[in-house]
Amino acid sequence: MQATRCWKAERVIERLHEKVTRQMVLSLEACVHCGLCTDQCHYVLANPGDVTYAPAYKAGSIRKFFKAHIDWTGRLFPWWVGARGLYTDAELEDLKDTVFGKCTNCRRCALNCPMGVDQATFNRMARGLLTYVGVMPEGVAVAAKDQWEIGNQMGVLPEDYLETLQWMEEELQSEYGDPTISIPLDKPDCDVVYAINPREIKYDPRTVAEAAAIFHFAGENWTMTRVGWDMTNFGLFNGDDELGAAIAGRVYDEVERLGGKKLVLSECGHGYRSTRCEGPNWGRRTTPFPMESSVVTMLRYIKEGRIQVDKTKNTEPVTYHDSCNNARSCGFFEEPRELLSYVVTDFREMYPNRAENYCCTGGGGAMSMSEYSQRRLKSAKIKAEQLQATGAKIVVTSCHNCVDGLFDLIRHYKLGMEVRLLVNLVAKALVAPAGPLPAPPLA
Amino acid sequence: MHELSPLLAFVQDQLQIAALLFMAVVYALKIRWIFRFPAARDRQERTGDPATSARKGAAYSLVNVAMPWAMPSTRQHLLFYTQFVIFHLAVAASITMSFLIPYAPETIASSAAVRLLQALFAAAVLVGLWRLIRRVRDPYIRAISTPDDYFSLSLLIVWFGFSILAAPNQPQEGEWPLMVYFVLTAFFLVYVPFSKISHYLYYPFARWYLGKTLGYRGVYPVKRGGETPA
Repeated sequence: MQATRCWKAERVIERLHEKVTRQMVLSLEACVHCGLCTDQCHYVLANPGDVTYAPAYKAGSIRKFFKAHIDWTGRLFPWWVGARGLYTDAELEDLKDTVFGKCTNCRRCALNCPMGVDQATFNRMARGLLTYVGVMPEGVAVAAKDQWEIGNQMGVLPEDYLETLQWMEEELQSEYGDPTISIPLDKPDCDVVYAINPREIKYDPRTVAEAAAIFHFAGENWTMTRVGWDMTNFGLFNGDDELGAAIAGRVYDEVERLGGKKLVLSECGHGYRSTRCEGPNWGRRTTPFPMESSVVTMLRYIKEGRIQVDKTKNTEPVTYHDSCNNARSCGFFEEPRELLSYVVTDFREMYPNRAENYCCTGGGGAMSMSEYSQRRLKSAKIKAEQLQATGAKIVVTSCHNCVDGLFDLIRHYKLGMEVRLLVNLVAKALVAPAGPLPAPPLA
Repeated sequence: MHELSPLLAFVQDQLQIAALLFMAVVYALKIRWIFRFPAARDRQERTGDPATSARKGAAYSLVNVAMPWAMPSTRQHLLFYTQFVIFHLAVAASITMSFLIPYAPETIASSAAVRLLQALFAAAVLVGLWRLIRRVRDPYIRAISTPDDYFSLSLLIVWFGFSILAAPNQPQEGEWPLMVYFVLTAFFLVYVPFSKISHYLYYPFARWYLGKTLGYRGVYPVKRGGETPA
């Protein structure tokens, strides 16, 4: 007798049929259970003996109900191919624990799979199925709700946002003794519209000030916006394409409204990926303006001589952590390294690096999922060993989630290192020109 | 010259053709099924290394199987990779042999060819047995295995065993090794579309799509930064 399916499981199965793409079907079908992905996952390496962390096992929790409901071999001979449908709320909770709590969607397994199984894409899809029926970690729900309703994932109110920008502007003017330094808002027809991570407003406003100083000394015609300034995107983390499209769309709309010529994104891995790469796909729209990371912007300023930097201001040994979303999903490897070559004297590569780097464990929304903190920190052991092996005092990254993830693991494993973004090092190395700069064009 | 019994003539000719046709029809239906699903696309501007492209990424991805240095998983498990090569070469050799024996037996008539084939099949049997032991003993592999995994591997091990016996193609010494070999081959061809053995059908598509998107995003071809300090 067929088991009764709960209401949520029914909706998940319905939604599965709508959400699965050709690429996902191929990934779900192609696994040969060879196990080569097993020891490439930081969760496995940090939890030896626990098979539930193996990428193929985690994928199997999704594959089994895909096979039961979509793959015809699984529908005809379920027991033979390990197919099993979803029936109960408890099974949905188990699935939540796997797809949210045991995988950061770092994609390292995909790059180590001989068959090209892209687990992160269907893991995200599974997150989206659960989100659709309200089954998700509370932190993810709260951040997504804040993005929908308030406009940013940290619930920063408009007045707090504006006050913080004003405060940073005043700090800059005082620091440099230059009253022309500003953080423009909603200035039309600028060459650069700058979008940031709300973490910068809430916890680290100094990064906004540093970027503003760099823009100012580069003589950039730039602006920030009053709304649509959050370039992060919980749609990437919770699998909700509609949220992803809406949040990215708000940023694009503001750039278009202001007539901005280019959108520059501050240092956030998932934000860069969501806004630069995925937003046009979620929203099925192209943008009439180019988008780039602020890392590329700063590098260009240095190479064009628009800003001067003195690398002797950053002499402590530094290593670089390739953020998963920047690196494995967007090919962002060399620009940060090239930028570092201008602003630090002692750079030490970590191994492995680039596309083969290990996740900081803070990705995939993990920093918002407090219920998995202990698991996250335990799985960070691999990253801690990587960091320790470099002998560096500072780990640089181009992602705010990585900053938090790395900071947590450094404290947990007592590594005695500091975490910096590239903008911090560039700002520190900045050589302010003598005398006032020509004012940028007025609105 | 030994005249084949009608049964052996049937199993090595018409039965193989029927099994192949069945496999081809089911594969065609599978490919049609896969293409019913919408393909995700990259609408954004390219990212990453401007020297890469979707096409280069797809090409890199497709030949990934022949580049054990390309992924840490294969670099760190070269013995495993070598086993994979032996196993799959043996599959290709045995499939080819199933055509050559009935239609061009002179091509593998020399004792050198027979010994080479038998050595390959014997190595594949050993690889298969090792892989079966691994699948049973390693908790990670056991946890992800289905009945199809065990059966497919066992079927191939037995098939390779009979490939060893069939390679000399000496029906006058007794037809049963060839008979069993061709019956197993026909069963293999009929079973494959319903099992994980059909992964080779998915391989080009899965790798194409992954390579296309990662090439477009500047991730493929992978530029390595080394695993340890120089």
